[in-house]
Amino acid sequence: MSAFFKSLNKDKVLWFMVLPGTLWFLIFCYLPMFGTIIAFKDFKIHRDGFFASVFNSKWVGLENFKFLFSTEDAYIITRNTILYNLALISLGLILAVGIAITLNELVNKRMAKAYQTAMFMPYFLSWVIISFFTFSFLSVDKGILNQVIVYFGGDPVSWYGDTRFWPYILIFMGIWKSIGYSSVVYLAAIAGIDKSYYEAAMIDGASKWQQIKFITLPLLKPLMVTLTILAIGGIFRSDFGLFYQIPRDSGVLYSVTNVIDTYIYRSMSTTGNIGMSTAAGLYQSIVGFIMVLVTNSIVKKISKENAIF
Amino acid sequence: MEVFKRKPKEVDNNAITPFWNVVLNIIVGIFAFTCVFPFLFVIAISFTDEKVLALNGFSLIPEKFSLAAYQFVFNTGDQLFRSFGVTLLVTVLGTLISLFLITTYAYVLSRRSFRYRNFFSFFAFFTMLFSGGMVPNYIVATQFLHLYNTIWALILPIAMNAFFILVMRTFFQTSVPDALIEAAKIDGSGEFRTFLQIVLPISLPGIATIGLFCTLGYWNDWFNALLYIDDASLVPLQAMLMRIQNNMEFVIQNSMQMGSSFEIAATLPTETVRMAMVVLATLPIALAYPFFQKYFVKGLTVGSLKE
Amino acid sequence: MKTKKSLTLALVGTMLLSGLLAGCGSNINTNANAPKETNNSAAAGNSAGNTSELKPYELKMYLIGGPQKDLDLVLKEVNKYTQEKINATLNVTMFDWGDYDKKMQVITASGEPYDIAFTSSWTNDFRRNAANGTFLGLNDLLDKYGKETKEVLDPRFLEGTKIKGEIYGVPVNKELGQQWVWRFNKKYVDKYKMDISNIRTLDDLEPLLKTIKENEPSDITPLAVPKGFKPFMPFDYVLGDELPIGVYMDSKDGKVVNILETPELATSLDTMHRLYTAGYLRPDVATLEGIDNIKTGKWFADREITQPYAEKGWSRSAGYEIVTSPMHEPYVYTQSAAGSMHAISVTSGDPERAMMFLNLLNTDKYLRNLLNYGIEGTHYKKISDNVIEDLPAMQDSYAMPGFTLGNMLLTYLHADDPADKWDAFKKFNDSSKEAPTFGFAFDPTPVKTEVAAINNVTKEFMPALYTGSVDPKTYLPKATKKFKEAGLDKVIAEVQKQLDEWNQTKK
Repeated sequence: MSAFFKSLNKDKVLWFMVLPGTLWFLIFCYLPMFGTIIAFKDFKIHRDGFFASVFNSKWVGLENFKFLFSTEDAYIITRNTILYNLALISLGLILAVGIAITLNELVNKRMAKAYQTAMFMPYFLSWVIISFFTFSFLSVDKGILNQVIVYFGGDPVSWYGDTRFWPYILIFMGIWKSIGYSSVVYLAAIAGIDKSYYEAAMIDGASKWQQIKFITLPLLKPLMVTLTILAIGGIFRSDFGLFYQIPRDSGVLYSVTNVIDTYIYRSMSTTGNIGMSTAAGLYQSIVGFIMVLVTNSIVKKISKENAIF
Repeated sequence: MEVFKRKPKEVDNNAITPFWNVVLNIIVGIFAFTCVFPFLFVIAISFTDEKVLALNGFSLIPEKFSLAAYQFVFNTGDQLFRSFGVTLLVTVLGTLISLFLITTYAYVLSRRSFRYRNFFSFFAFFTMLFSGGMVPNYIVATQFLHLYNTIWALILPIAMNAFFILVMRTFFQTSVPDALIEAAKIDGSGEFRTFLQIVLPISLPGIATIGLFCTLGYWNDWFNALLYIDDASLVPLQAMLMRIQNNMEFVIQNSMQMGSSFEIAATLPTETVRMAMVVLATLPIALAYPFFQKYFVKGLTVGSLKE
Repeated sequence: MKTKKSLTLALVGTMLLSGLLAGCGSNINTNANAPKETNNSAAAGNSAGNTSELKPYELKMYLIGGPQKDLDLVLKEVNKYTQEKINATLNVTMFDWGDYDKKMQVITASGEPYDIAFTSSWTNDFRRNAANGTFLGLNDLLDKYGKETKEVLDPRFLEGTKIKGEIYGVPVNKELGQQWVWRFNKKYVDKYKMDISNIRTLDDLEPLLKTIKENEPSDITPLAVPKGFKPFMPFDYVLGDELPIGVYMDSKDGKVVNILETPELATSLDTMHRLYTAGYLRPDVATLEGIDNIKTGKWFADREITQPYAEKGWSRSAGYEIVTSPMHEPYVYTQSAAGSMHAISVTSGDPERAMMFLNLLNTDKYLRNLLNYGIEGTHYKKISDNVIEDLPAMQDSYAMPGFTLGNMLLTYLHADDPADKWDAFKKFNDSSKEAPTFGFAFDPTPVKTEVAAINNVTKEFMPALYTGSVDPKTYLPKATKKFKEAGLDKVIAEVQKQLDEWNQTKK
């Protein structure tokens, strides 16, 4: 305890700086967390408001979690969610860093800026609107892709009826939409690198590739590690629109497009129940939390500096 | 502010070879093209005649040019301009507030000498995974803080975000050497002055990034408006767009059960109107983008600092 | 340990702070506390039916639809009238179609006080809310303050929306029966001199589709239906027509069957698959959310739920003539009475007054039309006693969805409406027959885990099967197997149990 007061005294200004943010977290994040109890209750409305509703509702233990595990779909959705996330996290990381470095190296800076702005555009379009365009490519009778295939003498493909293509389509679309956003962080980090490092390296006769390998990448490492650990926290969540809108909710494709979030959404469609949806969210959080704790402690062993806490 | 200088323009003899320059330009260029392509279509559709669109589908050059969609949107009277104003205010004010909260919090986390930095990192991180859910958030915002139908309801609930903090912390950690802070301390600079005059300027690329993300976050947010705003004079642009979108989807999905659906269908805006809204809601922010961009494409030299 | 203590400290801090914030903000939102204070006026209203003794009360009401500019203007007029009648004023908030459900979910779960809300089977789900205890039971209130409303309603409206004997909402008097029709683009019916009057089943329809397919260019879709298409089958679907659980329409013993295993389904699916392979439907029908056939006119037939004079409405909004042929006689299902209702919240500060207002809304012609069409001379003008013409202000700033606002049969007609429109509604309702489980409401709570799983299986298999996009010979057994694994039999058994119990109490 005395160490606490010592710190309070020594780092007065730092404590003062961390205070507004702390209050914000307490009010907007920690205070509402009491609502999580609903996951273990059969939530019924009481006329005296939310708290009365919560306290008067029956405890039901893990009843609300059951629907997540009741069928063999539990295996499919968990597998899909994890595999897609692994692909999106790893490819996303490689491509975001790759694009950031490439843009930074292009000789014509004005073109680099133009490319970068262009890559940001998909971020502004909602999945609903994007699905409109993927459909214009993949539609069986009017789709551009099938018209091309037929033109070259092939047989039209039923894109929304064939599971083989979807892992690639979904991963491509997921990366396509987010890459502009995620590469900005790395671009900024590269911009923040002290140019004298490169100057020194040049004098030593280092090639471009060596400069990237021995200067840029090591300096980006802390950021890559942080972002990856944070992404792992979301391993049980997915971008709902990507997996729901882009395959147009085609039932035939469920075995490769159904993820935990879409499963929850479909389960709730007629029996929508606040207890069950809270339970589902809690389940996703807990798994993500454990994953982050594990990853973080591994990172800590290798390099203490790069762990996030 | 004299502590850093932009690198002067000179012949860059560290550039990649012309061959690689061309190859990389082609690869990145093609990808960038696929990214703008749908947007061009959105613009084209918004200028297409509704009937022609339904009959022939869409094409990059409108088969029959029409301004009807924009006329429809502007006919909502001052609502569009009002919403634009709300969005602008929320975005600017919100970004400033967010940057203040995020940089101060993140800076403390980046200070290795601060004893509780791990605790506060965890404290922030935990909120990324666990949240109370929509209803408790709503109760806190409306019943405790009374934010309903105020502009603050559009700002405060998304003012902070653990993700941005942890990214910002990493920026501080990598771009601000400990020695620099120690040196400033020895020179008699107070903690807060060091932060404002030394740390922030060096971290400009990082701040620009987080600033950009916050700006986008506020600009694109419609969910808080859905929850907390029903006063028409406080509805932001994206919420207007989202309403159109939600209505279209809802009516399509439920028309069977609703019965008298043709009554409602007639009042719904058309596909072209929806696209016109997308254009109007996206173009301004896309144009604001280069403002942030200059901070992370050009780069800074901090060499002079170490002298 | 240390961190724990500092956390406690911090927590205490926030609580103090939030208390403070709540304190200084409390003058902003007095509305939230208002109903509790007026609680005692309920007692006053209860003992005396006399208006003069009622304390003033503001009714908070939520309605669905796009917010209208002139709402406040109209409410002023409404309030003048309601103050006189029941000494209450009305405060209406409208949420847009796509937002309403989410908004109401949050409002009800957070326990925010309000008096009346729009509810139905398709948004702000009536049954879910009643089961969660959101709505007040209305049996006594209706008897006391809603006698007139009860008289105008077909008794089956209330019968169908009862849950365990209790009424939880006042249904809007409109079409009660449900009847599917085939709709046809009259242009092609005339061109090929088709007789559509006897088209009932898919098999009846098939030759007509064939004619169109063979003689018209390929961009005319013979059967222009989207993903939601289901062939009509003689079942009373107990959990909504999405889930394959039903009772035969002519069932005497009330046996619940697995529809997947019935011969009727097998034949229908075979026919659909035949139609699909023949190219009568859009090839991507299984993923088509909606279809814009009406707009383009490039279609021959589709299906829709009808109501009296619906053809007129359809033709008017399409801009060309549409004709219909019924698939079956109109039926009254449990959920068909719940198409549009108003419920009183358990958080209402004065449920009696809310009921008085609903009673007025459903029986008072002036009030009903005022809320629906706005102010005479501003939003509409009268052509004759019961016929009006819209003024431009109606379209611009007061376009309300009439069917969500109480007794439809009281509303004025437009010049192009048939004069006997509402009589036709009455006749239509009278001619509608009750489905075998009419009045029975299934409580899914005991099997909610299974229902959640079945929902998923339904979405995976049924659209593809119902639209004929896949071969039922291989796909149906697959679906059946998966449904069983998801617990379909258990749900059917539960439905049967509840249905038997309900049948017992009915006798």
